[in-house]
Amino acid sequence: MKPIFVRGISNQFRLTLAVIMSVILLVANDRLEPVRNSLSSLLSPLQYIANIPGVILDESAESLATRNMLARQNKELLRQQLLMSERLQRFEHLRQENDRLRGLLGSPVHMDAKKVVAEVMEVASDPFHQYVVLNRGSRSSVYVGQPVVDAQGVVGQVVQVSELTSRVLLLSDISHGIPVRITRNDVRMMAVGTGSIDELELRHVAKSTDVRAGDLLVTSGLGKRFPEGYPVARVMTVKKDDGKNYATVIAQPLAALDRIRYLLLIWPDIAADAAELITPAGVEEALNAIKESAQ
Amino acid sequence: MSLHVANGRWVVWLSLLVAMLFQIMPLPELVEAWRPDWLLLVIIYWAMALPHRYNILTAWMLGVMLDILLGAPLGIRAFAMSVVVYVVVLHFQRLRNFPMWQQALLVATQVALYNLIIFWVQFVTDTANFDISLFYPAFSSLIMWPWLFWILRRVRRLYKVR
Repeated sequence: MKPIFVRGISNQFRLTLAVIMSVILLVANDRLEPVRNSLSSLLSPLQYIANIPGVILDESAESLATRNMLARQNKELLRQQLLMSERLQRFEHLRQENDRLRGLLGSPVHMDAKKVVAEVMEVASDPFHQYVVLNRGSRSSVYVGQPVVDAQGVVGQVVQVSELTSRVLLLSDISHGIPVRITRNDVRMMAVGTGSIDELELRHVAKSTDVRAGDLLVTSGLGKRFPEGYPVARVMTVKKDDGKNYATVIAQPLAALDRIRYLLLIWPDIAADAAELITPAGVEEALNAIKESAQ
Repeated sequence: MSLHVANGRWVVWLSLLVAMLFQIMPLPELVEAWRPDWLLLVIIYWAMALPHRYNILTAWMLGVMLDILLGAPLGIRAFAMSVVVYVVVLHFQRLRNFPMWQQALLVATQVALYNLIIFWVQFVTDTANFDISLFYPAFSSLIMWPWLFWILRRVRRLYKVR
């Protein structure tokens, strides 16, 4: 027969044990980071399995795309590529000029940082924070605190790294702050997440500060975590309420945080491989190739 | 006393693994908040069916795993799950004999309690905004429970899990 009474240690004892262990884990959370990372490496196959349905959906959508759609998409991409290459050429000129001027001033020359493309894995995360999981981990030498950007602007930073995956805290998370400056007049501020995906708040902005709706905010490079000059957000509203000590400034992140797919991981301290660098000659070549194929 | 020997352990762990996958699987944004707490439901089932084998410490371990997978502070879900499963283990006899709708209601209450504990610990240790969507999983769990119960009971009988 089945035992009606639970033998061995009592339930109360088990519960006490579980509660004590939970409290220990909660208190020692920060110190357990290495343990957590190795356990999360062990569990990451689960995340890869959970990601499969999404991948299958994506692939079937791709294979079901009609020839017309692909042709249209291809055309659009070519057009964009052309515009980008032209801008890149101008940019290359400016960069050289900038390097020369910096050389004259005796300041260090900016270098191209190493970048790696990562894909967002579609798995559920802690509902109380805004995380995304990337398919790159310590094996691709991702590190905690690493800046993450997409085509539009800064997305956030890496907060946990396991062997094959990493977790990125988004800009808009309530616990995230990023030092920014206004491009128009170099005023420095802190942009703090509000918990809502398309809103950042600029904290402690004096009412006399020159800030207007439409101002572009870029990373200021202070704090040494995010490299300088990446676009972050655009100021949406500025309210100067007499009853409050500071102005209420709301900005909108440039990266569409709710539908990010491919992201760039940046290593600010490591120079890009020579092979990855884009040279003016290479740009010209690509431009010509595009022009020819477009005709 | 051959009946006291565990049987079909792998079935239980497989069901828990599947529940874990359902728990972290991507869902459209619209229904994301309504995701039933699959893992909790399955562990509640096993704690009700075999309370002497799968109970509080099993739940604790699964909670830690879920915390790691979700990137939450370690221990939150472990704590919430062990408390909820403790309540289930205490009353497993009564729970088993309730009619299905009452059982489902009670399980939904447990799910609500679980989410409330998670919110509460999160609020105390870190920061969290209270949102009514916290209780959506309880509703969806209420609807899913009878089906899940039926499937798991069939599985248990089929593989003679003890």
